Amino acid sequence: MGKTERKLERNPELVWRDEPDARQSIVEGLEAGEDVAGRGWVIIVDSGTIHQLNLLAGEIWMLCDGTLDETGIGEKLAETFDAPVGEIVEDVREFVNECLEKGWLQIKEA
Amino acid sequence: MELSAPLTVNWTLSYACNFNCRHCYSRGQTRDELGLGDVMKIVDELADCRVAFVNFGGGEPLIYPHLFEVATHATSRGLKVSMNTNGWKLDAEAAGKIAKAGFRSVGVSIDGATAEVHDHFRSRPGSFEMALKALENLRDAGVDSTVSAVIFRDNVAQYKQIVEQAAERGVSTVYLHNFKCSGRGMENREALDLKPDEWKAFYEDALKYREDAPAKLAFDDPIIALLGEAEGGAVKGSTCGKLSLHLEPDGDTTPCGFIPLSVGNILTDGLKAIWKDSDVLQKMRNKEPKGKCVGCDAYSECLGGCTARALAVTGSFEEPDPHCWKSDGTESA
Ligand code: SF4
Ligand code: SF4
Repeated sequence: MGKTERKLERNPELVWRDEPDARQSIVEGLEAGEDVAGRGWVIIVDSGTIHQLNLLAGEIWMLCDGTLDETGIGEKLAETFDAPVGEIVEDVREFVNECLEKGWLQIKEA
Repeated sequence: MELSAPLTVNWTLSYACNFNCRHCYSRGQTRDELGLGDVMKIVDELADCRVAFVNFGGGEPLIYPHLFEVATHATSRGLKVSMNTNGWKLDAEAAGKIAKAGFRSVGVSIDGATAEVHDHFRSRPGSFEMALKALENLRDAGVDSTVSAVIFRDNVAQYKQIVEQAAERGVSTVYLHNFKCSGRGMENREALDLKPDEWKAFYEDALKYREDAPAKLAFDDPIIALLGEAEGGAVKGSTCGKLSLHLEPDGDTTPCGFIPLSVGNILTDGLKAIWKDSDVLQKMRNKEPKGKCVGCDAYSECLGGCTARALAVTGSFEEPDPHCWKSDGTESA
């Protein structure tokens, strides 16, 4: 477990839904060498506006279930994507900070 | 992204109504109504497909006899439930039941800032006072309320007063709906609807007013993209068929309440299959620009505007929205 120990959870008031079929099609696109950066598979409804999360952001989102901190999420994703933990943790931090600011994520009370 | 199921279902449980509004899309429609058992099955289907929002419309939901049972079941299955009402039957007792059933919000229709305008439009004396009282009853019961105002010729000059009166009663959001040309709205179109350049003037004014308005203003009109004011987000153009679907009292589904084309029955065809396989929905999601939409800078956001209105007036999904004021937009479609 990481040093920061801020376990992340999704704001329970927020309406969101993951779309496994869309995820599958992004993964297939990635394997086929397509540009998938703008393709989403998790939708979030915030103040009537629909946002979508791309592959990595969606993966991070799904792991924010109140059991992991940023490092823990990074470690899990590094395994899934076979990528260096350091880089992924940076991406996780950036996304998580953005979501904390928007009120989409919150730090779980101990 | 193509969703596996709609995010919002607008559900007409019954077309029965105690009003006879001049713009109503549904007046004159009749449909068989399902028994409560089938209605509850539909609630389960919506929850199983992870639909997020269910909004009861109509007809007048508060005269549907099983409204609170259905809503209670829906909220217990995790659906976020709301409704649109004319407010006539929304007394303190009904507001208490609404709160108990777990409604997330209730929209009250207010189409004028004075009794004269509203009551005439709604063809029901006393309905303005009742609608305002309904908002107060909701506030007292702790239920979040919104106001829906259909903008038309007689109220366009007083829309700010509608917003102010709503805000005074604790309303969080005022929806300023563009006039739809379906049902009685189509019959009364000449008398009620604004011309394209009048829509432009209205939106320019309202978008300015929105910055300091006492309540949040929402417009459901894709053509405001023409003013560089797209609502943002992942879905462009009309949301019907892409994010939302309309359910009829007999379980038939249509892209939206203003498009009278059945795309399948939820009880026999299943929601996910309808959503994925319907040719009509696919066509709405993959519109091709026609006429002045070809080459329009706003097309990527607007996608030709309101599909229902284009279909009602021109007979085609893909024709430019008749409210669009771009270049030759002042011609009557
Ligand atoms: S607009 Fe609403 S209140 Fe008016 S007749 Fe139609 S359903 Fe009833
Ligand atoms: S021309 Fe078509 S795409 Fe452009 S604003 Fe008008 S309706 Fe929308």
